[in-house]
Amino acid sequence: MLQIAFFAFIALTLIGALTVLLTRNVLYSAYALLLTLLGVAALFVFAGADFLAVSQIIIYVGGVLVLVLFGVMLTSKPTTISTSTVVASERSNAILAGSRGVWLGVLLAAGLFFGLSRLLMNAHFALFDQPISKAPTTIDTIGKQLMTEYIVPFEVISILLLVALVGAGYLAKKSIKP
Amino acid sequence: MTFQTYDCLQMLPIILLSLSGIALLFLGFQKSRALLLPATLLFLVIAFVANFLDWGKTYMYFRDMLLVNNLAMIFTGVVLLSTFMVVSLSGSLADDEDAQPAEYYAILLFSLVGAIMMIGFENLIMLFVGVEILSVAMYILTGSDKRNLRSNEAALKYFLMGAFATGILLFGIALLYGATGSFVLSGIGNYAHSATNAGGSMLLFYVGMFMLLIGMLFKVSAAPFHFWTPDVYDGAPSLFTAYMSTVVKTAGFAALLRILSVSFSGVYDFWWVAMAVVTVLTLLIGNITAVYQASFKRMMAYSSISHAGYLLIGLVGLSQASKPAIAFYSLAYSLSTIAAFGVLMLVARNRPLNAAVFGDQTTLARTDEHYDAFNGLARKNPLLGFVMAVSMLSLAGIPLTAGFWGKFMVFSAAADRGAVWLLVVAVLMSAVGIYYYFRVVIAMYFREGQTDTIRVAPFYRIVLIAATVLTLALGLLPNLFQGLI
Repeated sequence: MLQIAFFAFIALTLIGALTVLLTRNVLYSAYALLLTLLGVAALFVFAGADFLAVSQIIIYVGGVLVLVLFGVMLTSKPTTISTSTVVASERSNAILAGSRGVWLGVLLAAGLFFGLSRLLMNAHFALFDQPISKAPTTIDTIGKQLMTEYIVPFEVISILLLVALVGAGYLAKKSIKP
Repeated sequence: MTFQTYDCLQMLPIILLSLSGIALLFLGFQKSRALLLPATLLFLVIAFVANFLDWGKTYMYFRDMLLVNNLAMIFTGVVLLSTFMVVSLSGSLADDEDAQPAEYYAILLFSLVGAIMMIGFENLIMLFVGVEILSVAMYILTGSDKRNLRSNEAALKYFLMGAFATGILLFGIALLYGATGSFVLSGIGNYAHSATNAGGSMLLFYVGMFMLLIGMLFKVSAAPFHFWTPDVYDGAPSLFTAYMSTVVKTAGFAALLRILSVSFSGVYDFWWVAMAVVTVLTLLIGNITAVYQASFKRMMAYSSISHAGYLLIGLVGLSQASKPAIAFYSLAYSLSTIAAFGVLMLVARNRPLNAAVFGDQTTLARTDEHYDAFNGLARKNPLLGFVMAVSMLSLAGIPLTAGFWGKFMVFSAAADRGAVWLLVVAVLMSAVGIYYYFRVVIAMYFREGQTDTIRVAPFYRIVLIAATVLTLALGLLPNLFQGLI
């Protein structure tokens, strides 16, 4: 049963990813991305990383993806493009067909994939030797660590957010003079 | 080190800078902008003093998160001094209707928090957060001239490429954690020492190490990861270019020095060839491309790439001597770069007036940062001419200036390691450097130009003179600084 679920989630992730790549419509790509991100979240659960799975759903599905959808809906105006007579949904995906070096890209991606997967399969991870914690969830440990060991980075990240906030406000603000 | 209850009292510079940044944002609500510049300078002085309170002691703060020792304090001092000088050259912001000096100063102070974290980090998470704070602040400041298309382009370019480099850096950190099981620098160093002795595959460690180094080399603009530098330095407002090319570079090299000397010194034989190749590429590309530039500002961008190359020599010849060498070089480079940009800003600001006089607005306005802008500058502005000449001589590494001793110390650190061929390349490239630095000096002293007398605000003048005097003082008495470390 568990195995079937595992492979089902893998299939979900892969189908989503392929749809993102191959579909001609940006909106469909965004929806397919939703499938992929949910599938990855499920795979995190299988790996025992429950906190990571939840944050994956909250941050990527809930935040980033909604942002992407808003971006697509607010910016793409297929009707105003007069240079091409083809409807937007029938035009080929610019990432796939727009550049001439498609095969170069595919080769690069394949090479990177095989290199990294070989590297990770043959790697000896240091933490594998340590005993696995019996705690039912990882959230407990993460919360405690965040408030003790990693309190300084946790606090300083607020400066990062403040800089980003001030900067975004400044850059988005209209100039006083026209 | 044990956890001490009075820890947070001693991380003063970071806390002070964060608080004063927030205070500045509130000061920005005021109608009058007169208070902003003095307040920022005051905050920087306080942080500078607080930084040196712990002189002579070594602390490890917050469960191996931050290390404070003399070297870190020196680097922090260099960074704070550079910021102080850059900020004090920003007086004209108060008169600019479009500018938002409160936000600029606040972002500058916040970015210093990132720089200090990069200088003293002991945990890779601190490195990552520090790099991000500094980078995000720089993306914003690069695009701060909102109505200038070049500034917009530079900001977007910098942001996209910087985000990519951060991704590589983070991937490297993840792989290093996978291989060693530790984020702490000394823990990674212990693994490197023991694993090389024990044998076995360390591929994961090496790939992680190189990805981390690539991410950091991008931030200090070493070739072949330098391609963003000329456009970004050229497009950003000169004030922030001066900040970027000094503070970001100093912090980046302090971080590289720290991670290479603590974590990766056990596998020196493995990375020194790669770093040497990067160094040679950086020196060649930086110096030779700088020769072909018509714009002074773009030349300074390539010059900053070439100086990254000289600093990398100090890293390739990693030893105890390279720590003070890199600190000294950063100080010498920062002083002369800020002085040069200070003069450039004055000259460029006065150009549109000249353009109006000669009626050829469009062409002259576009060439306001070219070498031609300096023609005959020294006749009517002997002070500016002298400041510029000294900083160019120092950047070229002529004796009696700080730049000479910086190069000398870095080169001798590498010579101890026996990397003679690297020094041959470096010395040849320094000779190339003399060509393009002297073009400015020749333009100022020997060419005819129509430059008027440029009015310099008293405080601006003091800062320029101080930078020049410090450059000459360090050139005559390098031991003044060396004795500190």
